[in-house]
Amino acid sequence: MTILGLNPDELAGCVGCGLCLPHCPTYRVTGLESASPRGRINAMRAVEGGAPISSEFTEILEACIQCRGCETACPSSVQYGHMAETAMVAIATRRSMYRRTVDRVLYRHVLPRHRVLVLGTWMLVLAQRLHIVPKRFGVPHISTSSLRRPLSADALPTVFLYTGCVMDVWQRDVHRAAMKVMQAMGASVGLPGDGGSCCGALHVHAGRRSDAQRLAMAVVASMPGEIPVVVDSAGCGAALKDYGRLLGTPEAMAFSARVRDFTEWVVETGLPKMVPSTKTIVVQDPCHLRHVQHVENSVRTAISASYRLLETDDDALCCGAGGIYSITHPEIARQVRDRKVAAIRAAAGSDEVTVASANPGCAMFLSAAGLDVRHPAELLAAVIEEEQ
Amino acid sequence: MGRVRVRAEPLELILYQSDAGTARGQASVVCFPESIDDLSFAIRAANRHRVSFVARGSGTGLAGGATPVANSLVIVMTRMNRILEVDPVGRVAWVEPGVLNLDLTRSVRHLGLHYAPDPSSQQACTIGGNVGTNAGGPHCLSAGVTSTHVLAADVVLGNGEIVRLGGLEPDAVGYDLRGCFVGSEGTMGIAASIAVRLTPDPPETRTLLADFTSVDAAAETVSGIIAEGIVPAALEMMDAPITRLVEEFVGAGYPLDAEAVLLIEVTGLIGGVDAEVDAIRRVALEHGARQVKVAITEQDRMLLWKGRKSAFGAIAKVAPDYYLHDIVVPRTRLVEVLKRVYEIAAEQDLLVMNVFHAGDGNLHPLFVFDGSEPGIWERVYAAGDGIVQACLDAGGVLSGEHGIGLEKRDYMSLAYSADDLDAQARLRDAFDPDGFANPEKILPAGSRCGEMKRAPEGTWI
Repeated sequence: MTILGLNPDELAGCVGCGLCLPHCPTYRVTGLESASPRGRINAMRAVEGGAPISSEFTEILEACIQCRGCETACPSSVQYGHMAETAMVAIATRRSMYRRTVDRVLYRHVLPRHRVLVLGTWMLVLAQRLHIVPKRFGVPHISTSSLRRPLSADALPTVFLYTGCVMDVWQRDVHRAAMKVMQAMGASVGLPGDGGSCCGALHVHAGRRSDAQRLAMAVVASMPGEIPVVVDSAGCGAALKDYGRLLGTPEAMAFSARVRDFTEWVVETGLPKMVPSTKTIVVQDPCHLRHVQHVENSVRTAISASYRLLETDDDALCCGAGGIYSITHPEIARQVRDRKVAAIRAAAGSDEVTVASANPGCAMFLSAAGLDVRHPAELLAAVIEEEQ
Repeated sequence: MGRVRVRAEPLELILYQSDAGTARGQASVVCFPESIDDLSFAIRAANRHRVSFVARGSGTGLAGGATPVANSLVIVMTRMNRILEVDPVGRVAWVEPGVLNLDLTRSVRHLGLHYAPDPSSQQACTIGGNVGTNAGGPHCLSAGVTSTHVLAADVVLGNGEIVRLGGLEPDAVGYDLRGCFVGSEGTMGIAASIAVRLTPDPPETRTLLADFTSVDAAAETVSGIIAEGIVPAALEMMDAPITRLVEEFVGAGYPLDAEAVLLIEVTGLIGGVDAEVDAIRRVALEHGARQVKVAITEQDRMLLWKGRKSAFGAIAKVAPDYYLHDIVVPRTRLVEVLKRVYEIAAEQDLLVMNVFHAGDGNLHPLFVFDGSEPGIWERVYAAGDGIVQACLDAGGVLSGEHGIGLEKRDYMSLAYSADDLDAQARLRDAFDPDGFANPEKILPAGSRCGEMKRAPEGTWI
């Protein structure tokens, strides 16, 4: 067993050509080799070769947003994300007592517990109404009427909609829009049963693999059967599609095979009838939709039937949100976002612009920069022709 | 070192011990200047402490040019990455050295202009690094290499002094010091801003893919095309193993059963390009091409180029290590030298792939191997020696575009006489008399006559 538990072949897969560098958001804004995929891989090699797991090493790995843009750019298909996640496991077990306690509360007692999240969100709503939540936190305006009204599942579902943890309390209206579109397409939409409220993606990124495995098993159990599992969060969708690898069981692999991004499912099922819109939309590719799920084109196919689309000229670089990255590394995240916002405005040719984003984290982070961001489900829900 | 960002953490230093080549060194300190004053300040500080320094851009170089020797200070130029000024009428841009090659082209695309030299690593490599190595690229066949496109540079010399070399006016009088500086690999100082020529986009572009059942037929086609009086914008060749590898990555439609392919691009006015496409097709078919396809859509074109330009980064799918050579031979000798390259690889029992700028005879034999295999490096180096010798025997030169760096340094005495090397050493000394700027690069030890006199006792001179 090596120090970080990395597969030596995987580690040897990087020849160090540097073609990933411009596709790495943190390298782009810092210019540091240690903030590049090649640098991080070489740092992992150094540790496997005997260098200590120092605070320097921890900072180098933690400064990665885990967007995995480097994987799409890599001509040798180096599996950077898997290596980084594995290295994070070694880092997580060596944290200070204080940090381990904070992490345990967040990852075990808040994210996976729907009631705790709802309670916390009510407190947040109260704080929002008292105007004591700084704008730069990027917390969206939470609709209390939506929060009071849970989603209701259809009887005899033909498809599940995965609702997630934070998204289901902060952006439930996106789920409503997704359900509206799916129902208009003739589907009966089921919701996950108890225990399936957190996908574990953030746990994997933080190196808490065994927590993530427990959550994954619960999610699999919460949506039994063989019907498709539709996910309207790119980050959660990428996690659910990776359960096969995370758990390594035939059940998990079968489950992962059922998972579809919302727009992917819409395109596969056949586009609903839409009325043309005069609106122009700039498409933002969430990293885990583009670099992990590789289904960024289904967003375009789905919404281009009604809207005129514009593209950014920035190699679809990350927006900086990265799960909780924008909270743990606010300075780098803001610089990454500045580039993204500039690319979006350049694509639109004006400051008045609507952005399509298929990931709640990206949507919140970009909204906090003053952009009008909509989920593709909301864009579709606004233009589908209602049954007469 | 005051205002300049400086780092010296242990892992950080490890990350700067090499470029994308095989030579490893050791950095003492790394710094990140953000202006010409920062740069001069850093160099003066290094002078005061009698420490040598080396400039680094994206670290995509392959000849060890950015590898720190003698515990150098590594000066990373990535934070000097502003495009300072674009003059669309004069077609000149002033840029800082950390600007990425492709970013420059992107930033002037809306003006119908581009920066012509396009190394395969153009998405990642910096203009400063391109100037340092006098980089080439597929489209340099017709456009000329970096030196043709650099008009002037503000340079910080080895002692921290700031000078402007070259100028925007045509035909400046006096010695072409700009010409000396381009390709000097950081041994004459570091550029802090560079004036580059911008080239108008061609009105029409056609990209052709010709596939062959033998490497010889493809190589002969190259000479045939030029003999026809056509100078394509680009004329690239890939052999079977590398073609299969890149196709797996890009899915551009490269034929998997061909022994060699030529990727050819012609540009110009609409009538002209179509006539050239017809002529090239005819020449290729006469030389035994199985088929010649013209890319229909812009996306097809881009995918073909993406494949070509990703070639050497893709080799980790075969083995974890590579050694990419860079030699130039007269085009007329291409077939025989290529044959010799395959023979040398077979003699050393090594896997070789060939992907190169065929139009200007710039070969890139690429050895792919597992460096942990015992004795493998000796075989790789022996093959390299053989290739360099074969190239020089055919009247070729040591490097087309990667530079000499550490990698080719000790071959310099095969290509140049002692007098030649001494003259080059004295030119270098004129820019950097104290020898702090990227020492031990380009010129082999003993290049200067004085050094020869200090040869160890018993050495026969």
